[in-house]
Amino acid sequence: MKGLIFCKRTVKEILRDPLSYIFCLGFPIIMLIIMTIVNESIPKQANMTVFQIQNLAPGIAYFGMTFVMLFACIQVSKDRNTALIMRLHASPMKSYDFILGYTLSVIIIALLQLAVTFLASYIVAIVVKGELSIPGMFMSMLSLIPSAIMFISFGMIFGTLVSEKAAPGVCSIIISVVGMIGGIWMDIDNMKGAILNISKWLPFYHGVKASRLMLAGEYSEMIKPLAITIIFMIATYVLAIVIMRIKLNKDTR
Amino acid sequence: MANALEIKELKKEYGSKAAVNKISFDVEEDSLFALLGVNGAGKTTTIKMLTGLANPTSGDAMIFGHSIVNEKELVKTFVNLSPQETSIAPNLSVRENLEFMAGIYGMDKEKTARKTQEMIEMFSLQEVEKDKAKTLSGGWQRKVSIAMALITEPKLLFLDEPTLGLDVLARRELWNVIEKLKKEVTIVLTTHYMEEVEALADKIAIMVSGEVKAIGTLNELIEQTGTKNLEEAFVSIAGKN
Repeated sequence: MKGLIFCKRTVKEILRDPLSYIFCLGFPIIMLIIMTIVNESIPKQANMTVFQIQNLAPGIAYFGMTFVMLFACIQVSKDRNTALIMRLHASPMKSYDFILGYTLSVIIIALLQLAVTFLASYIVAIVVKGELSIPGMFMSMLSLIPSAIMFISFGMIFGTLVSEKAAPGVCSIIISVVGMIGGIWMDIDNMKGAILNISKWLPFYHGVKASRLMLAGEYSEMIKPLAITIIFMIATYVLAIVIMRIKLNKDTR
Repeated sequence: MANALEIKELKKEYGSKAAVNKISFDVEEDSLFALLGVNGAGKTTTIKMLTGLANPTSGDAMIFGHSIVNEKELVKTFVNLSPQETSIAPNLSVRENLEFMAGIYGMDKEKTARKTQEMIEMFSLQEVEKDKAKTLSGGWQRKVSIAMALITEPKLLFLDEPTLGLDVLARRELWNVIEKLKKEVTIVLTTHYMEEVEALADKIAIMVSGEVKAIGTLNELIEQTGTKNLEEAFVSIAGKN
Protein backbone atom coordinates (compact mmCIF):
# COMPACT_ATOMS: atom_id res chain seq x y z
CA MET A 1 0.00 0.00 0.00
CA LYS A 2 2.80 2.43 0.93
CA GLY A 3 4.52 1.44 -2.33
CA LEU A 4 1.37 2.38 -4.27
CA ILE A 5 1.12 5.75 -2.51
CA PHE A 6 4.78 6.39 -3.28
CA CYS A 7 4.09 5.32 -6.89
CA LYS A 8 1.21 7.82 -7.17
CA ARG A 9 3.45 10.61 -5.92
CA THR A 10 6.27 9.67 -8.33
CA VAL A 11 3.90 9.54 -11.32
CA LYS A 12 2.67 13.03 -10.45
CA GLU A 13 6.24 14.30 -10.04
CA ILE A 14 7.24 12.93 -13.46
CA LEU A 15 4.10 13.98 -15.33
CA ARG A 16 4.33 17.52 -13.95
CA ASP A 17 7.85 17.94 -15.26
CA PRO A 18 7.69 19.41 -18.80
CA LEU A 19 10.85 17.51 -19.76
CA SER A 20 8.88 14.26 -19.44
CA TYR A 21 6.69 15.27 -22.36
CA ILE A 22 9.64 16.33 -24.49
CA PHE A 23 11.66 13.15 -23.94
CA CYS A 24 9.00 10.52 -23.30
CA LEU A 25 6.33 11.62 -25.74
CA GLY A 26 7.74 14.24 -28.12
CA PHE A 27 11.02 12.53 -28.89
CA PRO A 28 9.63 9.21 -30.25
CA ILE A 29 7.17 11.05 -32.48
CA ILE A 30 9.85 13.35 -33.88
CA MET A 31 12.17 10.39 -34.53
CA LEU A 32 9.33 8.54 -36.21
CA ILE A 33 8.63 11.42 -38.56
CA ILE A 34 12.30 12.07 -39.36
CA MET A 35 13.09 8.42 -40.03
CA THR A 36 9.97 8.03 -42.16
CA ILE A 37 11.14 10.97 -44.28
CA VAL A 38 14.59 9.32 -44.48
CA ASN A 39 12.98 6.06 -45.56
CA GLU A 40 11.01 7.82 -48.30
CA SER A 41 14.33 9.17 -49.63
CA ILE A 42 16.01 5.76 -49.83
CA PRO A 43 15.78 4.16 -53.29
CA LYS A 44 13.83 0.89 -53.36
CA GLN A 45 16.80 -0.84 -55.04
CA ALA A 46 18.82 -0.33 -51.86
CA ASN A 47 16.55 -2.96 -50.26
CA MET A 48 16.89 -1.25 -46.89
CA THR A 49 13.97 -2.23 -44.69
CA VAL A 50 15.09 -1.01 -41.28
CA PHE A 51 13.28 2.34 -41.61
CA GLN A 52 10.09 0.89 -43.08
CA ILE A 53 7.22 1.50 -40.68
CA GLN A 54 6.77 -2.19 -39.69
CA ASN A 55 10.42 -2.20 -38.47
CA LEU A 56 10.67 1.43 -37.46
CA ALA A 57 7.65 1.46 -35.11
CA PRO A 58 8.86 -1.29 -32.75
CA GLY A 59 12.45 -0.02 -33.06
CA ILE A 60 11.53 3.49 -31.95
CA ALA A 61 9.21 2.11 -29.26
CA TYR A 62 12.19 0.11 -27.95
CA PHE A 63 14.54 3.09 -28.21
CA GLY A 64 11.99 5.16 -26.29
CA MET A 65 12.42 2.76 -23.36
CA THR A 66 15.99 4.01 -22.97
CA PHE A 67 14.55 7.43 -22.14
CA VAL A 68 12.30 5.76 -19.59
CA MET A 69 15.56 4.46 -18.06
CA LEU A 70 16.85 8.02 -18.01
CA PHE A 71 13.73 9.16 -16.18
CA ALA A 72 13.93 6.38 -13.61
CA CYS A 73 17.61 7.20 -13.07
CA ILE A 74 17.07 10.95 -12.69
CA GLN A 75 14.08 10.47 -10.39
CA VAL A 76 15.93 8.08 -8.06
CA SER A 77 19.12 10.17 -7.96
CA LYS A 78 17.13 13.40 -7.52
CA ASP A 79 15.11 11.90 -4.66
CA ARG A 80 18.29 10.68 -2.98
CA ASN A 81 19.54 14.25 -2.80
CA THR A 82 16.41 15.72 -1.25
CA ALA A 83 15.40 15.94 2.39
CA LEU A 84 12.05 14.43 1.38
CA ILE A 85 13.72 11.04 1.09
CA MET A 86 15.19 11.58 4.57
CA ARG A 87 11.65 12.12 5.82
CA LEU A 88 10.50 8.96 4.06
CA HIS A 89 13.38 6.92 5.49
CA ALA A 90 12.23 8.05 8.92
CA SER A 91 8.69 6.86 8.09
CA PRO A 92 7.48 3.24 8.30
CA MET A 93 8.29 2.79 4.56
CA LYS A 94 10.47 -0.25 3.79
CA SER A 95 12.99 -0.68 0.98
CA TYR A 96 10.51 -2.80 -1.02
CA ASP A 97 7.97 0.08 -0.88
CA PHE A 98 10.53 2.34 -2.57
CA ILE A 99 11.39 -0.30 -5.20
CA LEU A 100 7.72 -1.06 -5.94
CA GLY A 101 6.87 2.63 -6.06
CA TYR A 102 9.60 3.50 -8.53
CA THR A 103 8.95 0.41 -10.70
CA LEU A 104 5.19 0.89 -11.00
CA SER A 105 5.34 4.62 -11.58
CA VAL A 106 7.88 4.39 -14.36
CA ILE A 107 6.07 1.41 -15.95
CA ILE A 108 2.98 3.62 -16.20
CA ILE A 109 5.09 6.25 -18.01
CA ALA A 110 6.58 3.51 -20.25
CA LEU A 111 3.13 2.17 -21.20
CA LEU A 112 1.95 5.68 -21.96
CA GLN A 113 4.97 6.23 -24.16
CA LEU A 114 4.46 2.90 -25.96
CA ALA A 115 0.81 3.71 -26.61
CA VAL A 116 1.67 7.16 -28.02
CA THR A 117 4.48 5.75 -30.17
CA PHE A 118 2.31 3.02 -31.71
CA LEU A 119 -0.62 5.39 -32.19
CA ALA A 120 1.66 7.83 -34.01
CA SER A 121 3.12 4.92 -36.01
CA TYR A 122 -0.37 3.84 -37.06
CA ILE A 123 -1.09 7.33 -38.39
CA VAL A 124 2.27 7.38 -40.20
CA ALA A 125 1.51 3.94 -41.67
CA ILE A 126 -1.76 5.24 -43.10
CA VAL A 127 0.02 8.27 -44.60
CA VAL A 128 2.85 6.27 -46.21
CA LYS A 129 0.55 3.37 -47.08
CA GLY A 130 2.50 0.97 -44.90
CA GLU A 131 1.09 -2.00 -43.07
CA LEU A 132 0.55 -2.06 -39.33
CA SER A 133 -2.07 -4.31 -37.78
CA ILE A 134 -3.75 -3.23 -34.56
CA PRO A 135 -3.46 -6.72 -32.93
CA GLY A 136 0.19 -6.83 -34.04
CA MET A 137 0.89 -3.47 -32.42
CA PHE A 138 -0.80 -4.61 -29.23
CA MET A 139 1.28 -7.81 -29.13
CA SER A 140 4.43 -5.85 -29.90
CA MET A 141 3.64 -3.51 -26.99
CA LEU A 142 3.22 -6.49 -24.68
CA SER A 143 6.57 -7.93 -25.79
CA LEU A 144 8.24 -4.62 -24.91
CA ILE A 145 7.14 -4.72 -21.26
CA PRO A 146 10.04 -7.00 -20.15
CA SER A 147 12.43 -4.60 -21.89
CA ALA A 148 10.73 -1.67 -20.15
CA ILE A 149 11.27 -3.34 -16.76
CA MET A 150 14.88 -4.07 -17.69
CA PHE A 151 15.53 -0.43 -18.57
CA ILE A 152 13.73 0.75 -15.41
CA SER A 153 16.04 -1.58 -13.46
CA PHE A 154 19.07 -0.02 -15.17
CA GLY A 155 17.66 3.39 -14.27
CA MET A 156 17.19 2.42 -10.61
CA ILE A 157 20.71 0.94 -10.44
CA PHE A 158 22.39 4.02 -11.93
CA GLY A 159 20.13 6.36 -9.95
CA THR A 160 21.17 4.59 -6.74
CA LEU A 161 24.86 4.57 -7.54
CA VAL A 162 25.52 7.92 -9.19
CA SER A 163 24.64 11.55 -8.48
CA GLU A 164 21.87 13.52 -10.16
CA LYS A 165 24.50 15.33 -12.25
CA ALA A 166 26.20 12.14 -13.40
CA ALA A 167 22.95 10.27 -14.10
CA PRO A 168 22.24 11.61 -17.63
CA GLY A 169 25.86 10.94 -18.66
CA VAL A 170 25.81 7.33 -17.52
CA CYS A 171 22.44 6.72 -19.16
CA SER A 172 23.60 8.27 -22.42
CA ILE A 173 26.22 5.49 -22.67
CA ILE A 174 23.47 2.86 -22.60
CA ILE A 175 21.33 4.91 -24.99
CA SER A 176 24.21 5.07 -27.47
CA VAL A 177 24.94 1.35 -27.14
CA VAL A 178 21.27 0.50 -27.70
CA GLY A 179 21.16 2.75 -30.74
CA MET A 180 24.29 1.18 -32.22
CA ILE A 181 23.92 -2.51 -31.56
CA GLY A 182 20.19 -2.90 -30.94
CA GLY A 183 19.46 -3.08 -34.65
CA ILE A 184 17.21 -0.03 -34.49
CA TRP A 185 19.09 2.26 -36.88
CA MET A 186 20.99 -0.40 -38.86
CA ASP A 187 20.40 -3.94 -40.07
CA ILE A 188 22.60 -5.93 -37.70
CA ASP A 189 21.61 -9.31 -39.20
CA ASN A 190 23.15 -8.36 -42.55
CA MET A 191 26.32 -6.98 -40.97
CA LYS A 192 27.64 -10.29 -39.58
CA GLY A 193 31.03 -10.37 -37.84
CA ALA A 194 31.90 -8.89 -34.45
CA ILE A 195 28.96 -6.45 -34.34
CA LEU A 196 26.43 -9.28 -34.68
CA ASN A 197 28.27 -11.38 -32.08
CA ILE A 198 28.41 -8.53 -29.56
CA SER A 199 24.75 -7.75 -30.21
CA LYS A 200 23.75 -11.31 -29.48
CA TRP A 201 25.51 -11.23 -26.12
CA LEU A 202 23.51 -8.21 -25.03
CA PRO A 203 19.73 -7.95 -24.50
CA PHE A 204 18.99 -5.01 -26.81
CA TYR A 205 19.16 -6.80 -30.16
CA HIS A 206 16.87 -9.57 -28.85
CA GLY A 207 14.39 -7.10 -27.39
CA VAL A 208 14.08 -5.20 -30.67
CA LYS A 209 13.85 -8.46 -32.63
CA ALA A 210 11.10 -9.86 -30.37
CA SER A 211 8.99 -6.72 -30.73
CA ARG A 212 9.37 -6.71 -34.54
CA LEU A 213 8.48 -10.41 -34.81
CA MET A 214 5.45 -9.85 -32.58
CA LEU A 215 4.28 -7.02 -34.80
CA ALA A 216 4.69 -9.27 -37.83
CA GLY A 217 2.74 -12.06 -36.12
CA GLU A 218 5.68 -14.46 -36.32
CA TYR A 219 5.08 -15.90 -32.89
CA SER A 220 7.10 -19.11 -33.25
CA GLU A 221 10.19 -17.11 -34.23
CA MET A 222 9.91 -14.68 -31.36
CA ILE A 223 10.05 -17.21 -28.50
CA LYS A 224 13.87 -17.27 -28.30
CA PRO A 225 14.51 -13.49 -28.38
CA LEU A 226 11.65 -12.89 -25.96
CA ALA A 227 12.96 -15.58 -23.58
CA ILE A 228 16.43 -13.96 -23.64
CA THR A 229 14.85 -10.56 -22.97
CA ILE A 230 12.91 -11.95 -19.99
CA ILE A 231 16.06 -13.55 -18.55
CA PHE A 232 17.89 -10.20 -18.77
CA MET A 233 14.86 -8.46 -17.24
CA ILE A 234 14.87 -10.82 -14.23
CA ALA A 235 18.64 -10.50 -13.78
CA THR A 236 18.68 -6.69 -13.92
CA TYR A 237 15.61 -6.33 -11.68
CA VAL A 238 17.11 -8.63 -9.04
CA LEU A 239 20.36 -6.66 -9.28
CA ALA A 240 18.43 -3.39 -8.87
CA ILE A 241 16.65 -4.72 -5.77
CA VAL A 242 19.93 -5.91 -4.22
CA ILE A 243 21.75 -2.64 -4.94
CA MET A 244 18.90 -0.44 -3.70
CA ARG A 245 18.50 -2.48 -0.50
CA ILE A 246 22.22 -2.37 0.21
CA LYS A 247 22.31 1.37 -0.39
CA LEU A 248 19.23 2.06 1.75
CA ASN A 249 20.66 -0.01 4.62
CA LYS A 250 24.04 1.66 4.24
CA ASP A 251 22.44 5.10 4.46
CA THR A 252 21.08 4.31 7.93
CA ARG A 253 24.30 2.88 9.37
CA MET B 1 5.28 14.24 34.53
CA ALA B 2 6.30 11.12 32.55
CA ASN B 3 9.24 11.13 30.18
CA ALA B 4 8.63 11.04 26.42
CA LEU B 5 12.29 10.42 25.73
CA GLU B 6 15.04 8.84 27.81
CA ILE B 7 18.49 8.84 26.25
CA LYS B 8 21.06 6.51 27.78
CA GLU B 9 24.75 6.72 26.88
CA LEU B 10 23.94 7.21 23.20
CA LYS B 11 27.01 7.17 20.96
CA LYS B 12 27.60 7.47 17.23
CA GLU B 13 30.98 7.00 15.64
CA TYR B 14 31.94 7.63 12.03
CA GLY B 15 35.22 5.82 11.62
CA SER B 16 37.31 6.74 14.64
CA LYS B 17 35.50 10.05 15.22
CA ALA B 18 32.65 10.22 17.74
CA ALA B 19 29.97 12.55 16.33
CA VAL B 20 27.88 11.94 19.46
CA ASN B 21 29.69 10.72 22.56
CA LYS B 22 27.66 8.88 25.20
CA ILE B 23 24.99 11.49 25.77
CA SER B 24 22.23 10.98 28.35
CA PHE B 25 19.19 13.13 29.13
CA ASP B 26 15.41 12.94 29.47
CA VAL B 27 12.64 14.91 27.83
CA GLU B 28 9.34 15.33 29.65
CA GLU B 29 6.05 14.62 27.91
CA ASP B 30 4.25 17.63 26.34
CA SER B 31 7.24 19.92 26.68
CA LEU B 32 9.55 21.63 24.23
CA PHE B 33 13.17 20.63 24.61
CA ALA B 34 15.81 22.67 22.80
CA LEU B 35 19.08 21.18 21.69
CA LEU B 36 21.70 23.88 21.20
CA GLY B 37 25.19 23.68 19.82
CA VAL B 38 27.53 25.15 17.25
CA ASN B 39 27.80 23.53 13.81
CA GLY B 40 29.13 19.99 14.09
CA ALA B 41 28.19 19.70 17.78
CA GLY B 42 26.21 16.51 17.07
CA LYS B 43 22.62 17.84 17.18
CA THR B 44 21.54 16.52 13.78
CA THR B 45 23.31 13.18 14.32
CA THR B 46 21.41 12.82 17.61
CA ILE B 47 18.12 13.50 15.83
CA LYS B 48 19.05 11.05 13.06
CA MET B 49 19.58 8.29 15.61
CA LEU B 50 16.34 9.07 17.43
CA THR B 51 14.31 9.00 14.20
CA GLY B 52 15.81 5.78 12.82
CA LEU B 53 17.92 7.49 10.15
CA ALA B 54 21.17 6.34 11.71
CA ASN B 55 21.96 3.39 13.93
CA PRO B 56 23.71 4.18 17.24
CA THR B 57 27.18 2.72 17.68
CA SER B 58 26.31 2.04 21.32
CA GLY B 59 23.77 3.08 23.94
CA ASP B 60 20.04 3.35 23.49
CA ALA B 61 17.09 5.70 23.83
CA MET B 62 13.57 4.90 24.95
CA ILE B 63 10.79 6.82 23.26
CA PHE B 64 7.55 6.39 25.20
CA GLY B 65 9.10 3.22 26.61
CA HIS B 66 10.21 1.76 23.27
CA SER B 67 13.84 1.22 22.31
CA ILE B 68 15.19 2.93 19.18
CA VAL B 69 17.60 0.00 18.81
CA ASN B 70 15.34 -3.02 19.28
CA GLU B 71 11.98 -1.52 18.27
CA LYS B 72 13.06 0.87 15.53
CA GLU B 73 10.17 0.11 13.16
CA LEU B 74 7.57 0.55 15.92
CA VAL B 75 9.16 3.81 17.09
CA LYS B 76 8.99 5.15 13.52
CA THR B 77 5.19 4.97 13.63
CA PHE B 78 4.84 7.56 16.41
CA VAL B 79 7.90 9.73 15.87
CA ASN B 80 8.37 12.24 13.06
CA LEU B 81 10.69 15.01 12.02
CA SER B 82 10.86 18.15 9.99
CA PRO B 83 14.40 18.03 8.60
CA GLN B 84 16.82 20.93 8.37
CA GLU B 85 16.40 21.19 4.60
CA THR B 86 12.96 21.74 3.16
CA SER B 87 11.56 18.27 2.67
CA ILE B 88 8.56 18.46 0.41
CA ALA B 89 7.63 16.90 -2.93
CA PRO B 90 8.25 19.92 -5.21
CA ASN B 91 5.75 19.16 -7.98
CA LEU B 92 2.93 18.21 -5.63
CA SER B 93 0.50 20.79 -4.31
CA VAL B 94 0.43 21.62 -0.60
CA ARG B 95 -2.73 19.54 -0.16
CA GLU B 96 -1.22 16.62 -2.11
CA ASN B 97 1.95 16.74 0.02
CA LEU B 98 -0.14 16.43 3.17
CA GLU B 99 -2.27 13.63 1.71
CA PHE B 100 0.88 11.83 0.58
CA MET B 101 2.36 11.81 4.09
CA ALA B 102 -0.93 10.71 5.66
CA GLY B 103 -1.07 7.82 3.17
CA ILE B 104 2.50 6.75 3.90
CA TYR B 105 1.56 6.46 7.59
CA GLY B 106 -1.37 4.21 6.70
CA MET B 107 -4.35 6.55 7.14
CA ASP B 108 -7.51 5.64 5.24
CA LYS B 109 -9.19 8.02 2.78
CA GLU B 110 -11.64 9.48 5.24
CA LYS B 111 -9.02 10.13 7.92
CA THR B 112 -6.56 11.49 5.35
CA ALA B 113 -9.14 14.04 4.14
CA ARG B 114 -10.04 15.05 7.71
CA LYS B 115 -6.44 15.39 8.91
CA THR B 116 -5.39 17.25 5.75
CA GLN B 117 -8.12 19.82 6.27
CA GLU B 118 -7.17 20.07 9.94
CA MET B 119 -3.52 20.81 9.06
CA ILE B 120 -4.49 23.33 6.38
CA GLU B 121 -6.55 25.21 8.95
CA MET B 122 -4.02 24.87 11.78
CA PHE B 123 -1.17 26.26 9.65
CA SER B 124 -3.40 28.73 7.73
CA LEU B 125 -2.46 27.15 4.42
CA GLN B 126 -5.79 27.84 2.68
CA GLU B 127 -4.43 30.43 0.25
CA VAL B 128 -1.63 28.14 -0.98
CA GLU B 129 -3.22 24.69 -0.66
CA LYS B 130 -3.49 24.22 -4.44
CA ASP B 131 -0.08 25.71 -5.25
CA LYS B 132 2.83 23.48 -6.16
CA ALA B 133 5.17 23.26 -3.18
CA LYS B 134 8.18 24.38 -5.22
CA THR B 135 6.53 27.72 -5.98
CA LEU B 136 6.13 28.66 -2.30
CA SER B 137 8.39 31.02 -0.35
CA GLY B 138 10.79 29.63 2.26
CA GLY B 139 8.42 30.50 5.12
CA TRP B 140 5.47 28.69 3.54
CA GLN B 141 7.63 25.69 2.68
CA ARG B 142 8.75 25.38 6.32
CA LYS B 143 5.15 25.53 7.50
CA VAL B 144 4.17 22.83 5.01
CA SER B 145 7.17 20.75 6.08
CA ILE B 146 6.11 20.90 9.74
CA ALA B 147 2.48 20.22 8.82
CA MET B 148 3.66 17.14 6.88
CA ALA B 149 5.33 15.87 10.04
CA LEU B 150 2.39 16.69 12.27
CA ILE B 151 -0.30 15.14 10.05
CA THR B 152 1.06 11.71 10.95
CA GLU B 153 0.01 12.32 14.59
CA PRO B 154 3.47 11.86 16.13
CA LYS B 155 3.82 11.63 19.89
CA LEU B 156 7.32 13.05 19.60
CA LEU B 157 8.24 15.62 16.94
CA PHE B 158 11.77 16.66 16.01
CA LEU B 159 12.20 20.08 14.46
CA ASP B 160 15.71 20.45 13.07
CA GLU B 161 16.44 24.16 12.68
CA PRO B 162 12.89 24.94 11.54
CA THR B 163 13.42 28.69 11.11
CA LEU B 164 16.81 28.57 9.41
CA GLY B 165 17.02 31.18 6.64
CA LEU B 166 13.61 32.71 7.33
CA ASP B 167 13.01 36.43 7.66
CA VAL B 168 11.94 37.90 11.00
CA LEU B 169 8.22 37.92 10.22
CA ALA B 170 8.17 34.36 8.89
CA ARG B 171 10.18 33.25 11.92
CA ARG B 172 7.78 34.91 14.36
CA GLU B 173 4.81 33.33 12.56
CA LEU B 174 6.41 29.92 12.84
CA TRP B 175 7.09 30.49 16.55
CA ASN B 176 3.36 31.02 17.05
CA VAL B 177 2.69 27.73 15.29
CA ILE B 178 5.28 25.89 17.40
CA GLU B 179 3.90 27.50 20.58
CA LYS B 180 0.46 26.06 19.72
CA LEU B 181 1.95 22.63 18.94
CA LYS B 182 3.56 22.41 22.38
CA LYS B 183 0.14 21.69 23.85
CA GLU B 184 -0.39 18.68 21.62
CA VAL B 185 2.94 16.99 21.09
CA THR B 186 6.36 16.67 22.73
CA ILE B 187 8.89 18.63 20.67
CA VAL B 188 12.65 18.42 20.42
CA LEU B 189 13.98 21.49 18.64
CA THR B 190 17.43 22.33 17.35
CA THR B 191 18.29 25.88 16.45
CA HIS B 192 21.03 28.48 16.35
CA TYR B 193 18.69 31.30 17.35
CA MET B 194 18.90 31.99 21.09
CA GLU B 195 15.80 34.19 21.13
CA GLU B 196 13.87 31.26 19.65
CA VAL B 197 14.91 29.06 22.54
CA GLU B 198 14.13 31.79 25.08
CA ALA B 199 10.67 32.20 23.62
CA LEU B 200 9.77 28.54 23.21
CA ALA B 201 11.83 26.08 25.25
CA ASP B 202 10.91 24.53 28.57
CA LYS B 203 14.31 22.90 28.93
CA ILE B 204 17.62 23.33 27.12
CA ALA B 205 20.65 21.13 26.49
CA ILE B 206 23.90 22.53 25.13
CA MET B 207 26.00 20.16 23.05
CA VAL B 208 29.69 20.68 22.40
CA SER B 209 31.81 18.28 20.31
CA GLY B 210 29.27 15.46 20.58
CA GLU B 211 28.75 15.79 24.33
CA VAL B 212 26.04 17.41 26.46
CA LYS B 213 27.88 20.05 28.47
CA ALA B 214 24.92 21.63 30.24
CA ILE B 215 21.25 20.96 30.73
CA GLY B 216 18.46 22.84 32.48
CA THR B 217 15.81 25.50 32.18
CA LEU B 218 16.68 28.93 30.84
CA ASN B 219 17.01 30.38 34.33
CA GLU B 220 19.05 27.43 35.57
CA LEU B 221 21.57 27.81 32.74
CA ILE B 222 21.87 31.55 33.33
CA GLU B 223 22.32 30.92 37.03
CA GLN B 224 24.88 28.13 36.50
CA THR B 225 27.05 30.33 34.32
CA GLY B 226 26.49 33.58 36.19
CA THR B 227 25.52 35.36 32.99
CA LYS B 228 22.70 37.71 31.98
CA ASN B 229 21.03 35.86 29.16
CA LEU B 230 21.04 32.62 27.16
CA GLU B 231 23.44 33.86 24.51
CA GLU B 232 26.04 34.70 27.14
CA ALA B 233 25.38 31.43 28.93
CA PHE B 234 25.80 29.55 25.65
CA VAL B 235 29.06 31.34 24.81
CA SER B 236 30.30 30.66 28.32
CA ILE B 237 29.61 26.92 28.02
CA ALA B 238 30.38 26.29 24.33
CA GLY B 239 33.32 28.71 24.27
CA LYS B 240 35.21 26.85 26.99
CA ASN B 241 35.85 23.93 24.63
